[in-house]
Amino acid sequence: MSVWNYVVTAHKPTNVTNSCVGNFTGPQELNLIIAKCTRIEILLLTPLGLQPILDVPIYGRIATLQLFRPHGEAQDFLFIATERYKFCVLQWDAETSELITRAMGDVSDRIGRPTDNGQIGIIDPDCRLIGLHLYDGLFKVIPFDNKGQLKEAFNIRLEELQVLDIQFLYGCSKPTIVVLYQDNKDARHVKTYEVALKDKDFVEGPWAQNNLDNGADLLIPVPPPLCGVLIIGEETIVYCSANAFKAIPIRPSITRAYGRVDADGSRYLLGDHAGLLHLLVITHEKEKVTGLKIELLGETSIASTISYLDNAFVYIGSSYGDSQLVKLNLQPDAKGSYVEVLERYVNLGPIVDFCVVDLERQGQGQVVTCSGAYKDGSLRVVRNGIGINEQASVELQGIKGMWSLRSSTDDPHDTFLVVSFISETRILAMNLEDELEETEIEGFCSQVQTLFCHDAVFNQLVQVTSSSVRLVSSTSRELKNEWFAPAGYSINVATANATQVLLATGGKHLVYLEIGDGVLTQKTHAQLDFEISCLDINPIGENPNYSQLAAVGMWTDISVQIYSLPDLSRITKEHLGGEIIPRSVLLCAFEGISYLLCALGDGHLLNFILNTSTGELTDRKKVSLGTQPITLRTFSSKSTTHVFAASDRPTVIYSSNKKLLYSNVNLKEVSHMCPFNSAAFPDSLAIAKEGELTIGTIDDIQKLHIRSIPLGEHARRICHQEQSRTFAISSVKYNQSSAEDSETHFIRLLDDQSFDLITYYQLDAFEYGCSILSCSFSDDSNVYYCVGTAYVLPEENEPTKGRILVFTVEDGKLQLVAEKETKGAVYSLNAFNGKLLAAINQKIQIYKWTLRDDGTRELQSECGHHGHILALYVQTRGDFIVVGDLMKSISLLIYKHEESSIEERARDYNANWMSAVEILDDDVYLGAENFFNLFSVRKNSEGATDEERGRLEVVGEYHLGEFVNRFRHGSLVMRLPDSDVGQIPTVIFGTVNGVIGVIASLPQEQYVFLEKLQSNLRKVIKGVGGLSHEQWRSFNNEKKTVDAKNFLDGDLIESFLDLSRSKMDEISKQMRVSVEELCKRVEELTRLH
Amino acid sequence: MEGSSSQPSDSNQTASGAFKFLQNLPSRGLLSSTFLSSNPGGMRVYVCVRDTSPPEDQHIQTNQQNILIRSLTLKKQKGDSSSKDVKGAVAAEGSRKRVAERVLDSRTSAKRAASQSSSRQEGSSSSQASSRDFQGLTVERLRALLKAKGLSLKGKKDELIARLKSSS
Repeated sequence: MSVWNYVVTAHKPTNVTNSCVGNFTGPQELNLIIAKCTRIEILLLTPLGLQPILDVPIYGRIATLQLFRPHGEAQDFLFIATERYKFCVLQWDAETSELITRAMGDVSDRIGRPTDNGQIGIIDPDCRLIGLHLYDGLFKVIPFDNKGQLKEAFNIRLEELQVLDIQFLYGCSKPTIVVLYQDNKDARHVKTYEVALKDKDFVEGPWAQNNLDNGADLLIPVPPPLCGVLIIGEETIVYCSANAFKAIPIRPSITRAYGRVDADGSRYLLGDHAGLLHLLVITHEKEKVTGLKIELLGETSIASTISYLDNAFVYIGSSYGDSQLVKLNLQPDAKGSYVEVLERYVNLGPIVDFCVVDLERQGQGQVVTCSGAYKDGSLRVVRNGIGINEQASVELQGIKGMWSLRSSTDDPHDTFLVVSFISETRILAMNLEDELEETEIEGFCSQVQTLFCHDAVFNQLVQVTSSSVRLVSSTSRELKNEWFAPAGYSINVATANATQVLLATGGKHLVYLEIGDGVLTQKTHAQLDFEISCLDINPIGENPNYSQLAAVGMWTDISVQIYSLPDLSRITKEHLGGEIIPRSVLLCAFEGISYLLCALGDGHLLNFILNTSTGELTDRKKVSLGTQPITLRTFSSKSTTHVFAASDRPTVIYSSNKKLLYSNVNLKEVSHMCPFNSAAFPDSLAIAKEGELTIGTIDDIQKLHIRSIPLGEHARRICHQEQSRTFAISSVKYNQSSAEDSETHFIRLLDDQSFDLITYYQLDAFEYGCSILSCSFSDDSNVYYCVGTAYVLPEENEPTKGRILVFTVEDGKLQLVAEKETKGAVYSLNAFNGKLLAAINQKIQIYKWTLRDDGTRELQSECGHHGHILALYVQTRGDFIVVGDLMKSISLLIYKHEESSIEERARDYNANWMSAVEILDDDVYLGAENFFNLFSVRKNSEGATDEERGRLEVVGEYHLGEFVNRFRHGSLVMRLPDSDVGQIPTVIFGTVNGVIGVIASLPQEQYVFLEKLQSNLRKVIKGVGGLSHEQWRSFNNEKKTVDAKNFLDGDLIESFLDLSRSKMDEISKQMRVSVEELCKRVEELTRLH
Repeated sequence: MEGSSSQPSDSNQTASGAFKFLQNLPSRGLLSSTFLSSNPGGMRVYVCVRDTSPPEDQHIQTNQQNILIRSLTLKKQKGDSSSKDVKGAVAAEGSRKRVAERVLDSRTSAKRAASQSSSRQEGSSSSQASSRDFQGLTVERLRALLKAKGLSLKGKKDELIARLKSSS
């Protein structure tokens, strides 16, 4: 790899941090707005459900999200504050469906200690000011003037240093905040302050309440007419206002999120740390609060945000599990739950660890993540492409073609499946038991190969063989009419739709027939210049049964031509270039755009935009899908049309945002495919592959396919072992049912296909699994799982004891072969020259695998290296060891065989708190740190002095905005050796927000080109809310902020493809490169993920 | 749910209780279809090509003045005005009276408006506006205005305003 890196998101963040409901897109429209850390999603509530409107990338990590209504406005504005102290106020422009920036600004202060408990951003219910608590001891006020415009912000000193929550009180003549804080004796209190805007200061508020629940950490302001505030503690809930105080005890729990149900604030939904959803009710007589009631409703994902939508539907946003749409039922179900989960929205976050494997051995990587936390922990199998779920299969060799037919024209389902072989045609049909059974259609000729079949109008079927076209009644199944090829010529290629047949016979003849009731009429005939290789008359015009255009692929001159029907006059001729003949052409329409797809014999696919009135072909694009000839077919899934390209790498072609996208299918080699929508197998496909006919349904058409394996416990480390075909995971089970919360740690062994639990090994009390490795040792052919652990005792700051456990997998059991005690936590394990390299607290240690006299094995310490604070992450390459330290950035060590010792070679002297490291190549190492940055360092072997050589030079810096937990070499996509991107090495990363990203090392020339493109794109693509891309990507930690270097933002670069043509032209002019060339180069990059 | 199943009596109680409290959940007729459709995967990604900079005066910065210095200046200003504020209550009462007067005044002017020319009406409303404005001005500012008109600078704020009014 290299220092020129390209960072791109393969899977967007899914961790939902905030959500709110309001009239954002229109005065009458109710919206749900969801924040997923660096993105917001705007949805519309309709009677039919949640309708997605817009997915908005934000150049910042969203700290707070609030909807508010300034005076005189008909709809709500959105206030967003980011973790890097920027804020913006957005308004929806309904005419253009865009976001307008109403205000933005920088709310950072030069001096100030960032708050420990997160940033607070609140808006006065009467819209007099925005309040921000960003630094300890300061409360920032952004006042509104009476026209709803924001004025200069100012700070007010807040005496309370340990603030847990701040809210505005409703119904106060002067803006009043209530502050929940902890004093220096760890007691918690609330206090109110009036904000005097004129004096820019606080005035003591109307009331205060001392000595609350020690776990109180959430305030809920209660709207009028009741007013006041609810203080949610771990053991009590208190209602407090100037003239009332009510409290109720609750079952001990930590409330993570709340959602207000009624506009008058009498009911609230509370979500706790165990995912239990409660309803809190304020009982009142008119405006006098008489008490509180709390009721358990049921279980959801562990909520980070709750939004009551409408009609008893509630959105549960989660950071630890899938977000959900739930319904509150009046009657409990069998388990006593009032909560019915209607929908789950996949969330991969937090990705704590992952591994890249190729389970199906197709040369394509899959990522298996440890996702979620606590009870919502799960494994997720993420693969690029679409899955086919096999429902039935038969062994059938030598399939040459397949078509499905209906038993009558208006039957919604297919009945027959015609399968053609080299010298016969067989017909399969569904019998009464819903089984596929061989049947006959009397009118069909079954002794020869079928070239094409189709349903025709008037309850007819068409069969084309090499000698004739047969028209058969689909009801009586008798032959009604037959058209014979002229004597001496045989039909080579044929295609048909419901009313038309187009044939190519030898001698370069093209024959066009039309289908009537019981008759086949030859309408026109033409002789072309060369032999015909493929044909298509798929109707894409207004009439679904009749096509006015025919696509013809030619031998010899390697071209594709468009003919008009019925007169067979040539409209367009397009030379394909090269020497590979077209093998399949297809006319199709996606999202209102017509395309001509043309597949070549070498696995390449050309696509053109087709002007259906003029027949003009434009926007030629070429992609490589496989290496073998491709056969194209359309099919429908969920009432949308897609194209299946059957070849050695079967691909589904679909359209999203008016762009063609290619998703590979999890099948090895498919020769033919046809849709088979039968009553028993609705929306299915019949697929011919390797001597087998399979019927299956297709997954949702999307780029990444995610399979969830819920564990009910928190997986923290994962490792795959090829030889035993197993995964080993280290997981924690939290037992909340017992009186005291306890946790148990396991090593679990799972089958790598079914993900069934094979066996487990329970660790000791207080023993945590910290690392897992599958490896083998020198002089020993066995493969082992090594597990590093730590004894985490409550009284110790750092673990002082741990173990390395060595297991073999035998007969589905984990056999403990060896065990070695260590003097600390084993944070990392690596296979190293046939030995085991362990990072134990501040030390790096090498263990030999030695044979004892009695034939048993043991780990024997060989040598070690001190000098780290905590060596958390270790990667190795040859004799080099790269260590990511808790706070001392990256250092490079070398193992010396002769002396059997480890020495430090070089280090990065910056104080970076590391979260992951990886080796890119011999000289360049990649690190991720605590402040969401990426950086790369380079070994300086040519340095003149020892001092220079001992320093790792920082070569790349970039603000990713994501907390990376793991890097792994690998790729999510199939690497085709002949494509340009096939040679680009990549690293995959997984983050807390559920992002899976790719870092690709580019050649310098390409990097320079894309860097120029990026800087031009910055001028055209604006940051939402006026936030700057350059600032967002600048490396930023407590000590410094510097511009990004040697990393490019692939997400920005790839959005080039979403620009309008005029904007593309603008950039093309700046770059002095044609739009086509730019598109081609960017499209290549999109195939990295 | 483990907790509730282990305490059947408790869960029974919650059953009846939750039923009572789950009545009449707010509804505006949204999400009312029995069959809810959704496709959260197919959301349009926003690529913003229009200018996103805020209106000129809405680029908000924080006042950089030190909190201590700010509070001292504010206190000083307050100190100036509070010395005149001893009879604040009286002044407030006075001003309320004036509001009442003004209401009366405006009624009469409205009557007058029917008979008089529109320019005259404009004039009267502008003078009303100015008298209201005087109340918002500081004493120093009022004195400056008086000085400009060559009138006496002595007296309470109300007197100053009265003098200004009578002069205009």
